[in-house]
Amino acid sequence: MVMPDMQSSAPKMSARGVNVFYGDKQAIDNVSIDVDLDHVTAFIGPSGCGKSTFLRTLNRMNDTVASARVEGEITLDGEDIYSSGMDVVQLRARVGMVFQKPNPFPKSIYENIAYGPRIHGLAGNKADLDQVVEKSLRRAGLWEEVKDRLNESGTALSGGQQQRLCIARAIAVDPEVILMDEPCSALDPIATAKIEELILELRGNYAIVIVTHNMQQAARVSQRTAFFHLGKLVEQGPTTEIFTNPREERTKDYITGRYG
Amino acid sequence: MSGETALDQSGLGVPAERAPTDWRGDAMRRRIARRYASERRFRLLGMAAVLASAGFLAFLLISMMGNGLRGFTRTEVAVPIDFPRSVAMIDPAVLQTNPEQALANANLPAVLEQATTQAFGVSDTQLLSPNAVLALRDAIIRDPAILDQKVTVNLPASTGIDVAMKSEGNGTDEALASRLDDTGVISTAFNLGFLTGSDGTDPTMVGIWGALKGSLITMVITLALSFPIGVFAALYLEEYAPRNRWTDLIEVSINNLAAVPSIIFGLLGLAIFLNVMHLPRSAPLVGGMTLALMTMPVIVIAGRNAIKAVPPSIRDAALGIGASPVQVVFHHVLPLALPGILTGTIIGMARALGETAPLLMIGMRAFVSQPPGGFTDPATVLPVQIFLWSDEVGRGFIEKTSAAIIVLLAFLLTMNSIAIYLRNKFEKKW
Amino acid sequence: MTGVMIVLIIGALGVIGWIIARARATRLQAEVGRLATNSRPTQHGWYVALWTMLPAFAFLAVWANVMPSLIADTVLATPAAQTLPVDDFSRNAILAEAQSIASGSQAAAFNPQATELVEPYRAATLRYSTMGAILAAILAFACGAYALSRVRPSFTARYRVEKVVMWALLGASLIAIITTAGIVASLVFESMRFFSMVNPLNFLFGLNWSPQSAAMGYGNEDAFGAVPLFWGTIFIGAIIAMIVAIPLGLMSAIYLTQYARPNTRKWMKPILEVLAGVPTVVYGYFAALTVAPALRNFAASIGISNASSESALAAGLVMGIMIIPFVSSMADDSIAAVPQSMRDGSLAMGATTSETIRKVLIPAALPGVVGGVLLAVSRAIGETMIVVMAAGLAANLTLNPFASVTTVTTQMVQLLTGDQEFDSAKTLAAFALGLVLFIVTLLLNIVALRVVKKYREAYE
Repeated sequence: MVMPDMQSSAPKMSARGVNVFYGDKQAIDNVSIDVDLDHVTAFIGPSGCGKSTFLRTLNRMNDTVASARVEGEITLDGEDIYSSGMDVVQLRARVGMVFQKPNPFPKSIYENIAYGPRIHGLAGNKADLDQVVEKSLRRAGLWEEVKDRLNESGTALSGGQQQRLCIARAIAVDPEVILMDEPCSALDPIATAKIEELILELRGNYAIVIVTHNMQQAARVSQRTAFFHLGKLVEQGPTTEIFTNPREERTKDYITGRYG
Repeated sequence: MSGETALDQSGLGVPAERAPTDWRGDAMRRRIARRYASERRFRLLGMAAVLASAGFLAFLLISMMGNGLRGFTRTEVAVPIDFPRSVAMIDPAVLQTNPEQALANANLPAVLEQATTQAFGVSDTQLLSPNAVLALRDAIIRDPAILDQKVTVNLPASTGIDVAMKSEGNGTDEALASRLDDTGVISTAFNLGFLTGSDGTDPTMVGIWGALKGSLITMVITLALSFPIGVFAALYLEEYAPRNRWTDLIEVSINNLAAVPSIIFGLLGLAIFLNVMHLPRSAPLVGGMTLALMTMPVIVIAGRNAIKAVPPSIRDAALGIGASPVQVVFHHVLPLALPGILTGTIIGMARALGETAPLLMIGMRAFVSQPPGGFTDPATVLPVQIFLWSDEVGRGFIEKTSAAIIVLLAFLLTMNSIAIYLRNKFEKKW
Repeated sequence: MTGVMIVLIIGALGVIGWIIARARATRLQAEVGRLATNSRPTQHGWYVALWTMLPAFAFLAVWANVMPSLIADTVLATPAAQTLPVDDFSRNAILAEAQSIASGSQAAAFNPQATELVEPYRAATLRYSTMGAILAAILAFACGAYALSRVRPSFTARYRVEKVVMWALLGASLIAIITTAGIVASLVFESMRFFSMVNPLNFLFGLNWSPQSAAMGYGNEDAFGAVPLFWGTIFIGAIIAMIVAIPLGLMSAIYLTQYARPNTRKWMKPILEVLAGVPTVVYGYFAALTVAPALRNFAASIGISNASSESALAAGLVMGIMIIPFVSSMADDSIAAVPQSMRDGSLAMGATTSETIRKVLIPAALPGVVGGVLLAVSRAIGETMIVVMAAGLAANLTLNPFASVTTVTTQMVQLLTGDQEFDSAKTLAAFALGLVLFIVTLLLNIVALRVVKKYREAYE
């Protein structure tokens, strides 16, 4: 097991000895890792290595799978997110998620963004809500493209725009951490570049975790990288180190394209 | 090549020389022609089956139309009435203040008797419908001035004359009708009473409004019970139900209920709602409850399919920004599944609207001459009314039965068209 | 009157509770900040509204059930009631009369003693319904106040409200089980009473069906032999109807899926579906009015003299027409489930379309088609109106399609319309027939679904 490096300040999220089971099958084996506020953390690894599964434990999306069981400790600001005192709904508002395939609601662009603030009561009135929508869309770099057609359906946008809409939707509930599960895998290179640009801009305001199978992408957007293989966390560290000077043989093999 | 092995007749494992198939030979040509002929026959057979099925439908509809459209009209006889010389006893003072009462005591039947005997030499019961008195009364109320004149009033003809004019009546009526028709006093008019009246003893007096209203009240109950229960059950089974024996039991029950013959639901209604719960017989309340139990599985099954069609990514998206499971379902899944659920509901309701057998079991076959006023009044429904009229021996009832069928089919067709429209409009490929 | 009033009052209390709770939660949230609050103000509102209304309505439901006996006890305790006859039957009759006068559904008393009881009845009814209304209102108020006192930033109103919603959803799905249980219970219970009068073996294997003679006192044992009914049902529903429906339905499905142009298919399919949407009473009327006389004339013209105007053939023929769309849609599904590769394989070696259909598609789809036919049979034997209107009442064991036969459902309708006496074998026989029908259709459906499912799995 690789112990996480010690940080000067307390990490935003921290996982210790996490195991995940689907029924009898173990999907994640004893993973410990920290996620910091001012970093983009990338999870890389071959498909089926458990990186997405682990990502989904960070905001308890695995709760929706009846057979899934999580052991170990995951904390957000020092508070165990699997404790009974943690409200999963509030947790997911604080730890937002962007999915592999863009999944806007089949509603207007405005309603897509406004839905989260509405259910969480983040805007007192219509003017507040308008402001939240505009701010979120601006942050996601989508405002200029859609400001004149906020009432059109979110599903009418292009794939890249839809994904930025989903990011805007996550931002709108004012999260502290944003989890991105291969956000560019369904997009063309130009749209991918825009999303990557956006991730770099968002960095610093949010702790961002991105799962990607694209190593160039991990190298481009992240400051820290964690390599998963067969449900285990093989190695983690600063991105530059992992890519230039991996400590583990398996990491090196993967990065140099021996398998994946 | 297996063909070559088949041709190997030497038995020594050495392939014989492959004889090339003579595709152009006569034998092969005949064979192919035969195969094409059989192909054409098969195809024609298929087409014939489709046409036969459609033909049955057309024949059914046309024969209903042929019989039924006449049910919406009535034969009228122009009867000359000489009021000043008639036996009518009408108090002008009362006529001013309370015309209905004045005319109720006016001995109008005798007036008609006198008029028909004088004009045509037959009694009014043979010539005119029992409704004629009411028609005459209404005519007087509309224009009291005719009481001082000799006027000709169009009055509804008796069933005998009506049938004789429209199709084939019995001998005396046929003779009378043709005699009157030659003098030009017979005319045909739209029978408004058929749409506004209730059941009656004489075919010229009956109407379908009573049964229709009974149907509508029953459907209100059915919808109010089966829609929420069906939708809730569908949501539970698709979104929340844990995988266990209870859930299996619920699913098995629903699938079985969907296949149980409707008459069994009638037995259930009779045994539970009437005999155990002592609810009133013949009431739309009980009919609606019975039909609701029958309709609920249809809605659940349609609802589950519609809910299944909502892509899981939508649920993920909502969960991911912190919607609770209940919010996910009521804010996202349900609205998206609603068109599909509504389609299933309309189809289920159409089936309930045409259902007869379970309602016979709970006594909704009463003779109801007044439209029901509420959920517990004795009532009948449209299909049961059709069944009751079909049992009547009078010839005049044939066209009334068919006319009632036309009304019922019009409702069902409208409902089904709406369902098909909804299905096409909201059918989405995700 | 009081009933409607109190429901409205409780509803109003619920709305008021909702508004107050929401306002209070909004204020509290403003004080402590959003993150420190668990639930949204609206959710607090719903929590209080549910607490206000649910217990009160539950109480009213219970009260409505106990009130009649409370009223009766009070009335019996009045001096006017002391002169009532002692035996329960006549005493209850007088009480019932007094009650219907008091509630206004009857104008005057038949029994003079009832007149005296009207006033006490009215007074007691008023007293107890007022009492119930007041108690319900107090309950609503108290529960609402209790719920309101729990509105705190940390209070988990959302969990609790959502739990109620979950229970409501679960409850709705349990209705299906309750209905099934109700059907089974009522059929079994009444059938048991029937079988205590008639030997089940005589019922299941007897050849003579004449419930009318049993009702007239000729004894039960030999009058309830249901075999002629079972035969009639099978003859009409499983033989004649299927001879019509299977070829027509199957060939229609084949033509529409394999040969017809998309446009033809688009129009013909809904038209066939309309056949399934026509109410059975319409088919019944059609069979009785048009088909049956035509068949009788036809039979007479080919020299069958004893042709009945209520022939098995008329009912079976029309029932077959009704079943066509059912068979055709099942066949359609089964054929569509055969993998395209099989069809391609056959066509690629030069088979004609019809050869492919007959030699490849139909054998491959056969289990699905058979399952569909079983479902169609189950529907046909449970069908009521066509046979009631067109099949007649004579319980004949005959193979002659022009003769009259009767069916299980026809007899059920016949036995249960008119006078019902739930202590006579004649009325109860309908439930025994219903039980047989229920079991047979259930078995057919289970077998059919098994077959279809197995077959689907084979190609998935």
